[in-house]
Amino acid sequence: MKEQYDVLIIGGGAAGISAAKTLWLSGCRSIAIIEHKPSLGGILLQCAHTGFGAGLDGRDYAETLLMDFPKDIPCFCSTTVIRLFPDRSALLSNGHIIRFRLLILATGCREIPFGSLPVTGTRPSGAFTAGQMQEMINCHHYLPEGPAVILGSGDIGLIMAWQLLELGLKVTVVEKESHMTGLPVNRARLTGRDICFLPGTTILEIKGMPSLSGVTLSDGRFIPCRLLLSAVGLLPQRELLEGRKIPDWILPAGNCSHIHSRIESVIKEGASTAVKVLSLLDRAPSI
Amino acid sequence: MKSFDVAVIGGGVLGCFAARNLMRYRLSVVLIETREDVCMEITRANSAIIYAGYDHHPGSLKASLTVRANSSFDDLSRELDVPFSRCGSLMTAYGEQGLSVLRKKLEQGQKNGIPNLRLISGDEAREIEPMLSSSVRYALYAPSTGTVNPWKLGIAAFENARANGCEILLNSPVVSLEKEGGQYRIETADKEIFSKAIINCAGRSAVNIQDMLFPPSVRIRLDGADFYVFDSRSSHPGLILFEETENGKGITAVPCTEGNLLLDSPPRPYAAEYATTSEGLSVIRKEASKLMPSLDFHNVIRSFGGIRVNPETSDGKDIRDFCIQRPEKTFWSLIGVKTPGLTCANELGTLLASDCASVLEAQQNPNFLPERKAIHCSADSPIICQCENIRKAEVQAAILRGAVTFDGIKHRTGCGMGTCQGSRCRYEIEHLLKEKERSHEGTI
Repeated sequence: MKEQYDVLIIGGGAAGISAAKTLWLSGCRSIAIIEHKPSLGGILLQCAHTGFGAGLDGRDYAETLLMDFPKDIPCFCSTTVIRLFPDRSALLSNGHIIRFRLLILATGCREIPFGSLPVTGTRPSGAFTAGQMQEMINCHHYLPEGPAVILGSGDIGLIMAWQLLELGLKVTVVEKESHMTGLPVNRARLTGRDICFLPGTTILEIKGMPSLSGVTLSDGRFIPCRLLLSAVGLLPQRELLEGRKIPDWILPAGNCSHIHSRIESVIKEGASTAVKVLSLLDRAPSI
Repeated sequence: MKSFDVAVIGGGVLGCFAARNLMRYRLSVVLIETREDVCMEITRANSAIIYAGYDHHPGSLKASLTVRANSSFDDLSRELDVPFSRCGSLMTAYGEQGLSVLRKKLEQGQKNGIPNLRLISGDEAREIEPMLSSSVRYALYAPSTGTVNPWKLGIAAFENARANGCEILLNSPVVSLEKEGGQYRIETADKEIFSKAIINCAGRSAVNIQDMLFPPSVRIRLDGADFYVFDSRSSHPGLILFEETENGKGITAVPCTEGNLLLDSPPRPYAAEYATTSEGLSVIRKEASKLMPSLDFHNVIRSFGGIRVNPETSDGKDIRDFCIQRPEKTFWSLIGVKTPGLTCANELGTLLASDCASVLEAQQNPNFLPERKAIHCSADSPIICQCENIRKAEVQAAILRGAVTFDGIKHRTGCGMGTCQGSRCRYEIEHLLKEKERSHEGTI
């Protein structure tokens, strides 16, 4: 492993791929990607729903993104960045230290965990975050058992409602607003489907131990269920900053910058961040 | 049918330490646990504190064991390779009523021989802990208070007992207990075991176990507490805070060895199995904001409910000291051990083991090895838990050491305790567990 690059990209999802391609096409050759999963593609690899590009599902879309990916860009997969140091270096999980001049942080986002919500009651098995279940079903062929309750009708909540319906589960979606909050495309996928939508309420208490038996809503109703998914929001994943302000040598891109609702805007931001990096590279100190 | 010198019933932190210390003698020992793993019930939800020992009456067993346990905890944690931090504690008071409690604790603590205990002003307390609110007027500073990882402690004792030859029976609820030919006949769901002595550390079931053989003498009352866990990256106090309010005990704040802040509520009535209550959680929010106004509840990553067992006489009077029942010469029961049970687990185990060894006239075991090593792994294994940077090889080692559930992995490695609460690593870990299960089936 070469130990220094002009630009290091952390995260091999859509934003990181797009930034790497843009840098390469502009003639920047001293770049590398670090990806903690075994292959590039990021969260796209767990998306079985269509709607990406010209109606592809996430996996096919990732494949098209990678079709013209320059083979000479070093990609360190199954590798995690453990820490960033102010001298512009990164400690990797394999013990190596990589030095760089500029860093593109394309680490994506993470789900707000269920435990952080003001929900009382037991902590049984059967409660997951929506993205976690999406990965389990689409990457690991897990077959969940219903009936299911999904908390939150944002995009991920609605996508998972559709997936669970496809698997034949009975699905209830609980939403504190008066309407579904996801994009029209994700609402449209549920049109005419047998789904129970409960607006204007939320989950107050979880029942059952050791297995989930149901949830109590703020209006007092009890909904029996064996699967509970939380889809209550995403947060940019910036743990590597350890709470510090973003220094001028780190440029966040994609969902790590802010939460995007469309893949196209993630890709666009990856590319525009790369352009910005190119303009900064002249002035950035050498290693 | 198998026969042992001693059967320890219950694989919580107390049973594990009883078993560990019995192995110091030439005794054959079996540890019998209902669940699929150890430390899964009361030990699972506690406040992780190693108390200084000022809370208990001079002369009580609780006072003497706590002080002794506290002073030897560095050695114990080194011996068992368990994370321990002697972070110190402040017991805080807002007014004169609280001050009188602090004074009483100071006096008790001095009588109990606790080192460097000091009653200080609010300003001095804020110098030690800047997060404290300006309304704190007095504090009792105990530099010897500490915090330990409670699961890792119990599991370390378990592994140490096992390595020294203790036999382990998991998934084995005791269904009946009889005296037969001068021995105890213990029937579990699928086995029959004989032993000369019994050490009953069955937690919530300890009274039921004892009542299988002896007339009822004590009972337990359950109550509970609620807990909040904060992200390890959020700002939190550097030492343990015990809040004393005008109405008695308030909240406790513990900066855990893993970097998370743990807040726990005062005791509240028992709720359903390990369930949280909105009352308990709102008390924590209210009191924590009073104690540390800058604390940001957006950083909460988990809440959970814990169970505490309180020993009572059969006519309903509280038993304040550790309640060790000995209905006959070869039978010991630890009934309703709550705070400071975690602190004193090794001391209680030592006490029971030495009593037991003297009754059975057992010699010291010259081959006993007190050391146990934690899981360490090389840097070439990929990271499986991105929140806490835990490697796949650590998870695999935990499985080899006996973890059979995600919780078992969590207690041994810390996977799933971080910001995402296992949402990113859980499936891969479940997969590793299943792989192990399958390979095990293959060998049979």
